[in-house]
Amino acid sequence: MKPLALFAAVGAAFAVVPFLGLPAFYESFLYLVFHWIVLATSWNLLSGYSGYFSFGHAAFFGAGVYSTAVLAGKAGWPFLLTLPVAAAVPAALGVALGAIVFRLPALRGELFALITLALMFVFATIVLNTPLDGGPGVYMSAVEVPALAPTPSGSFYLLALILALGTVGIAYSVYRSRFGTGLFAIHDDEDVAEVMGVPTYRYKLAALALSCALAGLAGGIHGVFVSYVTVGETFSGWLALNVILMAALGGTRHWAGPAVGAAAVTVMTFYFTTSDYAIAGRALVGLIFIVVILFMPNGLLGRFAVRKPLAARSEATAAGTIAVQGKREEPILVVRGAKKAFKGVQALAGVDLEVRRGEILGLVGPNGSGKSTLINVVSGHYPIDGGSMVFEGRELAGQAPHRVARSGIARTYQIPRPFAHLSVLENVALPPMFGQVRMDRRAAQAEAWRWLAFTGLEKKALQFPKDLNLHERKFLELARALASRPKLLFLDEVLSGLTPSEIDGAVRTIRAIREQGATIVFVEHVMRAVMELTDRVVVLTNGRSIAQGAPREVMRDPQVIDAYLGSAHA
Amino acid sequence: MPSLTLLGQSVLSGVFIGALYGLLGLGLTLSWGLLRQINLAHFALVFLGAYLNYQLASAGLDPLLTLAVTAPAFFVFGVALHWLLARFSVSPLNTLLVTFGFMVMIESLIQWIWTADFRRMENHYGNVRWKVGELYVPLPELLTLIVAAALAYGVWALLRYTDLGKAMRAASEDAPVAAAFGINEKRLALLLSGACAAFAAVAGVCLALSHTLAPAQIYAWIGVVFAAVMIGGLGNPVGALVAGIVIGVSEALTMALIAPAWAPLVSFTLLIAYLLFRPHRLA
Amino acid sequence: MLEASSLRAGYGAAPAVWDASLEVGEGELVVVVGPNGAGKTTLINALAGLHRMESGSLRFAGRDISRLPAHLFCDVGIALVPEGRRLFTGMTVLENLELGAYRGAAKAHRAAALKRVLALFPMLDEKLGRPAGTLSGGQQQMLAIGRALMARPRLLLLDEPSLGLSPAIVVEMFRIIREVNRDGVAVLLVEQNVALALQLARRAYVLEEGRIVAEGEPGELASQPHIQRAYLGH
Repeated sequence: MKPLALFAAVGAAFAVVPFLGLPAFYESFLYLVFHWIVLATSWNLLSGYSGYFSFGHAAFFGAGVYSTAVLAGKAGWPFLLTLPVAAAVPAALGVALGAIVFRLPALRGELFALITLALMFVFATIVLNTPLDGGPGVYMSAVEVPALAPTPSGSFYLLALILALGTVGIAYSVYRSRFGTGLFAIHDDEDVAEVMGVPTYRYKLAALALSCALAGLAGGIHGVFVSYVTVGETFSGWLALNVILMAALGGTRHWAGPAVGAAAVTVMTFYFTTSDYAIAGRALVGLIFIVVILFMPNGLLGRFAVRKPLAARSEATAAGTIAVQGKREEPILVVRGAKKAFKGVQALAGVDLEVRRGEILGLVGPNGSGKSTLINVVSGHYPIDGGSMVFEGRELAGQAPHRVARSGIARTYQIPRPFAHLSVLENVALPPMFGQVRMDRRAAQAEAWRWLAFTGLEKKALQFPKDLNLHERKFLELARALASRPKLLFLDEVLSGLTPSEIDGAVRTIRAIREQGATIVFVEHVMRAVMELTDRVVVLTNGRSIAQGAPREVMRDPQVIDAYLGSAHA
Repeated sequence: MPSLTLLGQSVLSGVFIGALYGLLGLGLTLSWGLLRQINLAHFALVFLGAYLNYQLASAGLDPLLTLAVTAPAFFVFGVALHWLLARFSVSPLNTLLVTFGFMVMIESLIQWIWTADFRRMENHYGNVRWKVGELYVPLPELLTLIVAAALAYGVWALLRYTDLGKAMRAASEDAPVAAAFGINEKRLALLLSGACAAFAAVAGVCLALSHTLAPAQIYAWIGVVFAAVMIGGLGNPVGALVAGIVIGVSEALTMALIAPAWAPLVSFTLLIAYLLFRPHRLA
Repeated sequence: MLEASSLRAGYGAAPAVWDASLEVGEGELVVVVGPNGAGKTTLINALAGLHRMESGSLRFAGRDISRLPAHLFCDVGIALVPEGRRLFTGMTVLENLELGAYRGAAKAHRAAALKRVLALFPMLDEKLGRPAGTLSGGQQQMLAIGRALMARPRLLLLDEPSLGLSPAIVVEMFRIIREVNRDGVAVLLVEQNVALALQLARRAYVLEEGRIVAEGEPGELASQPHIQRAYLGH
């Protein structure tokens, strides 16, 4: 059954409940289930999908609660009118937080979790000590509840149902969209995702804003439901952790995981809190949580969180060339005075080089001479300290890495960095989705099939990177870099670790790539390949380029011989 | 503008509470920094230690001697916890979740045995305080400061200068290679985890000596202690203590100079500011 | 001195190494070459105790060490220079070296061992207080070898020491390995740089897809057409 139809059917079935004349208890109970479904699913949009675990969901929920409490409870606004504000205020606060925090790469993982926890305490204190609450709490019993159903509890039920359906619907569509793929890539390896063209900053902000807005809406409704809000009850650490528990229990990688977890936990705790064994019940919930995380680290739905491919092998795009615009032999990339230092080590000390269109340029040099660093600064992986890099007339320095990717530059990583939780096919499909052309998921996968065939990885397309050996992973890197049809391709030691016969195969493949119209910069230690493949060679030593020219001449240059074979301890 | 004496007393009480923050953070910073385990259960353990302390003291045992019971018992728990986490190869982020489960269970246990009522340990230490100049120095708080400083410095020195400490640092960085050089990293990790839990018992005693206990209080300490641990640097016992004292004094001064209600904001503002301006010092 | 028979190690139904037998005599310098994915690192990790063997036997100096826990291999006299160095990068050069001689017996001789290692790698002397992570690739490799030598091992295992290093440094490093071997330490070296490895060793094994497929003197092996095609590029 098509998803939309399924949603509609489920929604209709549940919508009937308030009109059945059941005791209010059932409506209130289901209200709670929907309430937690919204909180858990909205939390998961950012934290589960992108991996930025937030401990501050209560902060945004509370901001929503108090937006409605102040406007409806104190200023007399009609309830429904406060809801857009209850969504907008937390979203704005979230975006403000994200705007600062997401710019700092060090603030990921546990640090992000704790900064969001801190946020909750900050909000709570501010609300407690200002006229927003001031201490005594806010009474909402006077607020008029819109009559959507025969009883007030029925109306809350319907409001919560609509919100829950909407939230889960959003989670589902994000899950299947390009936005979702980008978030999952960020989860696995944010830096690489950025270099492949995913606008990570923007995506994270969007996910955060969405998550906060939905939590805020849940808050706005909940405030009126409980009819009396206090700071202590609203901004509670228990809520923050409960939400994580529910999502983790159900499975953070699946769109329905948090909903399943929320329903399960709500039912369980409700059953226990109403009995005489409230305390034992809580302990049991804790125990269940421990057991699930230990035995099913990906949650109840974890196993189902594999997205089916949208395009079949047969839909692979036909062979064609990477368009070569402009004349051959003219410079496509000009680097002047590139400088980069890391904690006192000057990795690049003023590199000058030029890459000509359509050539294969070898970049060689002793260990630590700056070859990988040069690739990293050109592709935007690290910001450059000084100097300029002009690609097709446009300055690259200072550009966000995803823009560099979009202008047609691609690179492989010396130690392969695939997205561990995306299939081989999805890995290769990522650059076409976010690179120069920005295709939708289906077209990108069709394109990916083509490059998998080119690199011989077709049969492993639906497997995961961990199932590939080193050789295959290097070719996965290659396929991924090629899939964006780059104008300029950096290959970082693709041959290391391969046997001579494998190297021969790789050399043939690289020649074939050049014939398709790409310009290649080839970093290598394997001299035989450098001699065979390259048109020109640049030698780097100690962060500077000391020689440029035809391979045989350069390797005979006394300065080069000295740098390479002379000083034993570089 | 409050008097100099009042300010001095504020600073002093800030130092004392900060020492307790640091002491609470000791086990946490070691397990997070060296074992990559974020142990939320640590807080529940501290409170359990405090409650046990209270119970045994009510039965007539000297509060400080209760450590002879609680410390070894908690050590065993710490060993068992690490064994469990290692056995299931739990990722660092998931250790947060699993230990949260344990925290809930321990908190439920506390509530079941001692109920949600406030408990205050009556003991002869609590009534002793000295006057140094114009300032009052209560004995329990002073004891806390001394214990915190001694433990923090002792552990730091152990990690820095002894072979055992170096082995622990090496094992935390690359366990299999450490094993290749003769370091029994599995045993060291269990030992460290047990020690962290034993430190929780010590913190529990100090907590019980100077504070009123209630199960809901557990959560109140989480935020501020995490702040101290992060600002002090993961795996750095002295750092956690210093950071704790800085937070404590800042809170106390805020209470004296601005308003008591804003004190909770201090630690988090400090943390957020620290993370924004010097984030690379962590991890 | 070291005898491995029918070693089987690796994950699951298709282990990386499923039938490896080799031996290293006292003071010998033996090399294992093979394509990537052949199981070289799994093999050497099994020999160093880092990787559990599923079946087969391992004997060292007449003693069965098949079931010995990882941290006791050092006591027995086996030291490892892992692939990619794997130094304790957060600790100083001196601390890394000290940890090479952590266990009881080695500890007693630590000062003397340190002197000898620094004599072998003089450039480490001036960097003793620096964090190991700040050294260059070549220096790190030297430190890794030095760390392994601190325990005065009888057998030194090296996993792809030339990986990522420039030719000049590789030459120097192999010279040092030869010198260490001359001092009486047996050496087992796993290498991808076949040409260089065959120059160094007196005996070599070829590992392909988890099994030892050939053994012999380098000259002999190098003249085999299969070897020539696959590894020497002729």
